[in-house]
Amino acid sequence: MQPFIESLPPEVDAKLQRAKPSEEQVFIQVSADLSDDQAFGEKWLVATKLRLLVIPADGVVEQIPLDAIQDVKTEELVGGGRLVVERKSGAPVYLHYSSSLIPKFAEVAQGIGQLSKGKPLELPTEMERTRCAKCGRLLPEKDSKCVACIKKWHTLMRIQSYVNPYRTQLALVVLITVIGVLINLLPPLITERIIDDVLVPLSNFNLLVWLVAGLLGAYLFSWLSEIGHTALSCWLGFRAAEDIRAELYRCLQFLPIRFYDKHKVGALISRMTNDADRLEDFIAYEVPYLISNALLLVGIFSLLLYKNWVLTLYVLLPVPPIVLGGIFMWNRLTRYWRLWSAKWGKFSSHLNESITGIRLVKAFAQEDRESTVFDRHNDELRQVNVSGNRAWFIFYTITNFLMSFGVFFVWYFGGRQILDKELKLGALTAFISYLWMLYQPLRWFGDSYNFMLRAFAGAERIFEVMDARSEPFNDPNTVDMPKIEGRLIFKDVTFGYDPGKPVLRDINLTVEPGEMIGLVGKSGVGKSTMVNLICRFYDVTHGTLQVDNEDVRNIRIEDLRSQIGIVLQEPFLFNRTIAENIRYGNPEASFEEVMRAAMAAEAHDFIVAKPDGYDTMVGERGNKLSGGEGQRIAIARAILHNPKILILDEATSSLDTATEKKIQAAISKLIEGRTTFAIAHRLSTLRNADRLVVLDEGKIEEVGTHSELMDRKGLFYNLVRTQKETSAVMAVGGGKDDPGSE
Amino acid sequence: MENTKSKSDKDKPKVKRPVTPIQTPPPECVNPKDIRLFREPPWKLRLTIEGDRSYLMVRVVRAAPLSQPSRYICFLDEKNEVIWTVEDPSVLDADSRRILQEELNQRYMTAVIEIISSLRNEFGVSYWDVQTNRGNREFVVRNVSESAQWISPRRLLLIDVDGNRFEIPDIDLLDKRSISLIEMVI
Repeated sequence: MQPFIESLPPEVDAKLQRAKPSEEQVFIQVSADLSDDQAFGEKWLVATKLRLLVIPADGVVEQIPLDAIQDVKTEELVGGGRLVVERKSGAPVYLHYSSSLIPKFAEVAQGIGQLSKGKPLELPTEMERTRCAKCGRLLPEKDSKCVACIKKWHTLMRIQSYVNPYRTQLALVVLITVIGVLINLLPPLITERIIDDVLVPLSNFNLLVWLVAGLLGAYLFSWLSEIGHTALSCWLGFRAAEDIRAELYRCLQFLPIRFYDKHKVGALISRMTNDADRLEDFIAYEVPYLISNALLLVGIFSLLLYKNWVLTLYVLLPVPPIVLGGIFMWNRLTRYWRLWSAKWGKFSSHLNESITGIRLVKAFAQEDRESTVFDRHNDELRQVNVSGNRAWFIFYTITNFLMSFGVFFVWYFGGRQILDKELKLGALTAFISYLWMLYQPLRWFGDSYNFMLRAFAGAERIFEVMDARSEPFNDPNTVDMPKIEGRLIFKDVTFGYDPGKPVLRDINLTVEPGEMIGLVGKSGVGKSTMVNLICRFYDVTHGTLQVDNEDVRNIRIEDLRSQIGIVLQEPFLFNRTIAENIRYGNPEASFEEVMRAAMAAEAHDFIVAKPDGYDTMVGERGNKLSGGEGQRIAIARAILHNPKILILDEATSSLDTATEKKIQAAISKLIEGRTTFAIAHRLSTLRNADRLVVLDEGKIEEVGTHSELMDRKGLFYNLVRTQKETSAVMAVGGGKDDPGSE
Repeated sequence: MENTKSKSDKDKPKVKRPVTPIQTPPPECVNPKDIRLFREPPWKLRLTIEGDRSYLMVRVVRAAPLSQPSRYICFLDEKNEVIWTVEDPSVLDADSRRILQEELNQRYMTAVIEIISSLRNEFGVSYWDVQTNRGNREFVVRNVSESAQWISPRRLLLIDVDGNRFEIPDIDLLDKRSISLIEMVI
């Protein structure tokens, strides 16, 4: 079924049939989710070749002949939007909808526009899924996995899947564990024999020697199996945790930029560190004991039943209340640990932000305030910790107290059985030993329950990242393009970061290989967005962007990006040496090539003047270098990367005139033979561009050379004039003179 | 020594620094009594500064919709440039006030949550089923404790995965069950 022909409820369908001739074909039939007074409810919009019908759930159908429509557009409101159908005469017709339907109505508006202009209808053949196909629940992300359809058991199974590659080691751990458990069950049996066959009859010294030797042997084997078991399971756990961390990091690396638009970096780092740590502890220390203690529990329990089932039943009396308490506590404790994780995320997010921005904090003398905010986060963290641990402690002590009741019962009823000669003393002692042994794994389950919950909450947060849709790097349908020529064609490109809010509209532009294009326009008109589309950080909403006549979506991402070079206003440098930074896009480059790139970027002189030359560590984000130095290293990096398409996003805007001149010289070497897109506010820096593209409100307003555009006296001319006037005013007012003025 | 100094600095009462008054250009200095909002034709909002000028196609927005919902209302022209900001709309005449309120109601589509019928939190995603002042609604919020915005200690704004807005003006005014549900996730 087409996404824009939704099925109508019978009463609405009846209204529609009455309102239009039955032979008139319906092209669009969609529901909005708000009524006129903006209450949640359905309202239908139907478009045929001749008319538009707005059908409310109750009320009169409104009809607008298509030839009476002037324009159809969507209007963005806060938390929703509305479709505005403007008529050639008379009041417009409105259809309100919530934010959930913004993407749909953005398409619908285009569709009605096409119909009303007599054009063929071009609507997407499918829309992204918003609900789970299995359970019907709303999806957290369009077209994503339904997290609700994954259960706790699945979380455990998923954690376990990381242990699967080490099956042999796992089998060995299980084997050692089983042997260990069996050996652990022996000592009470031996003590029973010592009491009943040696101590009570006061005879048989030889037997005592054998039994004591047996006891010693049992403890020795138990000790050895414990060592083997711990060593192996730790090895296994750390391996699995390493794999999880590696996969998580890989996922983070391959997630699209859109994901990072929505998540805080600190919170993501917390998943990598804290949550992964918890999971590591769980696999290394908890899972092995989970197996051995479960086995021990079953073993002891069977033995107890075998030895004296009546006494066993007494032992079990406190169990039902403990189980019930556990069920009650599960949700409560999970909530605390989930909360703890979230608070920790906020805590590290603030830490990350305030330490990264320490210069700004100091410049505005806000150390105290930042400390206060930190104290608040720290305090919240403590509070959650205290509440969680308090709840846990209460549960733990009550459980312990209840469990100790079993021992009283056994002494009382067991003692009576001895007096009645129904039970031997040795058997009772063995029973009590087993009972204590039974409590040990039970108590362990209680203890680790807490850790398990924390680990599960952590695992959920890790899997959430892993399940986010990554960029289609290994899409088999893409074509290899190891050698791009550099021809770029924007064909009717429309794009918005949020659906229904286009930032670029109907962009048509063909750029020949080796051409330099200057992108010009006020802030926020979509210059950087165009660049983002070229790099395929985002996909176009409508139209196509072609590289060498191939849709950019069909090109292998790796091939595309490896042939694009970017120099940004604030270059990002890694805390490595200068040489390593220059080599970033081309790690195989020889030292000579690195030097040649640095020379071309006018960076060689200042690099060698440093005590450590090319081996100088640049500091975090390159903070040990000046702005101009960092910029030239970024240019050297781009030169060495040898891209076919080059992007200069305000590459020279934050520098002084002398440095800028050097960098301009470096850039002019860099752009030779490459398709270049340059964004600059100082318009004079784009004089060398083959063509300038002037953007306004997301549309291309003018295209031409610098002098052509100046002659045209249009938008570009005005921009240049404004810039001249501003710099003149700044010069008179004592402000920084703008070297960009001509 | 340094420690003592910083400690005594901390104890000092903070002196409020005077803020240099910032000159605002006209027409900000118009007399609010001269401002008139009206619709002509009925689907177009116009604004007239009596005896001065008139603007066609005006839009009304709140400068700070969360913290100052009923003050600092801005009038924008066709190009989204601010014509004028009124600090206290009660100075306007009755008709203008009515129109202003209608426009604001239309623009801000935040639903006010009255009862939380069900709330589940799984894998960092919370599923809400709520009754609001605008009817019943289901929505999904990712990472609710990270993404929920506290406007004041008891006032909460939730923005779901699609960008729909839901507000709880005062958590304490909700029924007990709703409070306990909300406390499960936030």
